[in-house]
Amino acid sequence: MTNKTINTLSFTLTDGIGHLEMCKPPGNQMTAEFFSEFNEMVDELRGLKGLKAIVISSKGRHFSSGADLEELLEQAVITGDINHPEMNENWNIISERNYRSFLFFEETEIPVIAAIRGVCIGSAFELALFSHFRFCGEDAVFGLPETTFNLMPGLGGVRKIAALSGQAKAIELVLKGNTFGSEEAQQNHLVDRIVPRRKVVEFSVAFARKVMKNYKKQKAPFYLRQIPLDEPFFD
Amino acid sequence: MIEKKITDDIGILILDNPPQNYLLEPEFIPVSELRKWLEENHLKALVIAGSGRHFSGGANLDSIYTMAEAVDPMEGRMEKGKELLNYLEDLNIPVAAAISGVCFGGGLEIALACHIRICSENALFAFPETNQGLMPGLGGTFRLGERLSLQDSLKMILGGDMINAEEALLLKVVDTIVKNEEPLPYTLHFLRKITEGRPLKIINYVMQTLQNIKRLPPEESMREETRMFCDLARIESDRRKTNTQ
Repeated sequence: MTNKTINTLSFTLTDGIGHLEMCKPPGNQMTAEFFSEFNEMVDELRGLKGLKAIVISSKGRHFSSGADLEELLEQAVITGDINHPEMNENWNIISERNYRSFLFFEETEIPVIAAIRGVCIGSAFELALFSHFRFCGEDAVFGLPETTFNLMPGLGGVRKIAALSGQAKAIELVLKGNTFGSEEAQQNHLVDRIVPRRKVVEFSVAFARKVMKNYKKQKAPFYLRQIPLDEPFFD
Repeated sequence: MIEKKITDDIGILILDNPPQNYLLEPEFIPVSELRKWLEENHLKALVIAGSGRHFSGGANLDSIYTMAEAVDPMEGRMEKGKELLNYLEDLNIPVAAAISGVCFGGGLEIALACHIRICSENALFAFPETNQGLMPGLGGTFRLGERLSLQDSLKMILGGDMINAEEALLLKVVDTIVKNEEPLPYTLHFLRKITEGRPLKIINYVMQTLQNIKRLPPEESMREETRMFCDLARIESDRRKTNTQ
């Protein structure tokens, strides 16, 4: 696989940098169709030769508004019938499969960068949290609003926020379920840099190029975050 | 010795032995009593605070020496104190310490067992035990060691160094500093904001997910998270179905 475009996603490989783009603007909603295509895509990325870094971004103004709640609950009705225990099992398997795809980005040995513009909430924020680096535009809006819909984040977001912002902040952000802007996200270590909105993707690709060569050796995020990003990056 | 209050589904435990709120017994409230109170009142969060100007100066030395000489084995009473702190730490509702003034020894060990620590500008933290030929005895060395570098832990535990609110914030011993007199009102306001309108089950599941990270292997903790999420989704879709019928 070098380049591939499917209904909700596209992938291009250029000079070792894989660019994964959600392409259902404006919301880039994570529907069941999206997850199914996303899982397939991730399976192809596993062990893909020549892949040295991954940048995740989205077409249009927004990163993604997360899962489609109505569809998700509908699925829960269909598969959640107490009289059909097998169906129950089924749905857990689907959710777990999505979770495993997210985990791929955390566990891979190459740098993964989320380039975030606009809205990045719910499962989309969870996906971004599984990346090793997050760069966002000034206009970015984050949040895990699941508890305000009587649900909870189900794809590892709670764990990732606890690791980045600490336990107390995780309890606050998840239970309150409020949205917050780029500066608050940076204060809580949830994004690494705020860059001009129009440059987020360009910047992320340049960063990927800079760190992909020696990432294995120096993959400690601490080291990488010390790189002055204000330097002329676009050489 | 302990005063219990409830406001807006939030329980408040007040260490009430002023001025220093010394702890007379490591198990400052019996676990069974606390459990019963939390469950019967369906409490959504718990705050621990001190009466008056201080959180707690910990155990008073005389009571430790008396305890060491008592017929009733000291180990057993210390174990009970540890069980209480483990119970607090494992609770599936948010537990916050609202800290004013002095937070020493056993008082600091209680605060470290909480999930959230909010303190006043004039708060002071220390483990003075080693100055008296003792050491922290309720898991404080362990809990402090989890958050601090070995160097900083040793400075506090072996050196007996006292730190102020700002240093405590830098070392992540506390999460937030508020004005003097305000820890308790601020903490209550904070907990109200995050629990208001949230069913207890969701609070329990979110807290459980946070606890699982520390206690379960990653695979298992992931599976548990999925199970809880799916459970909530089914409850919510059932609720919507019933509402539209």
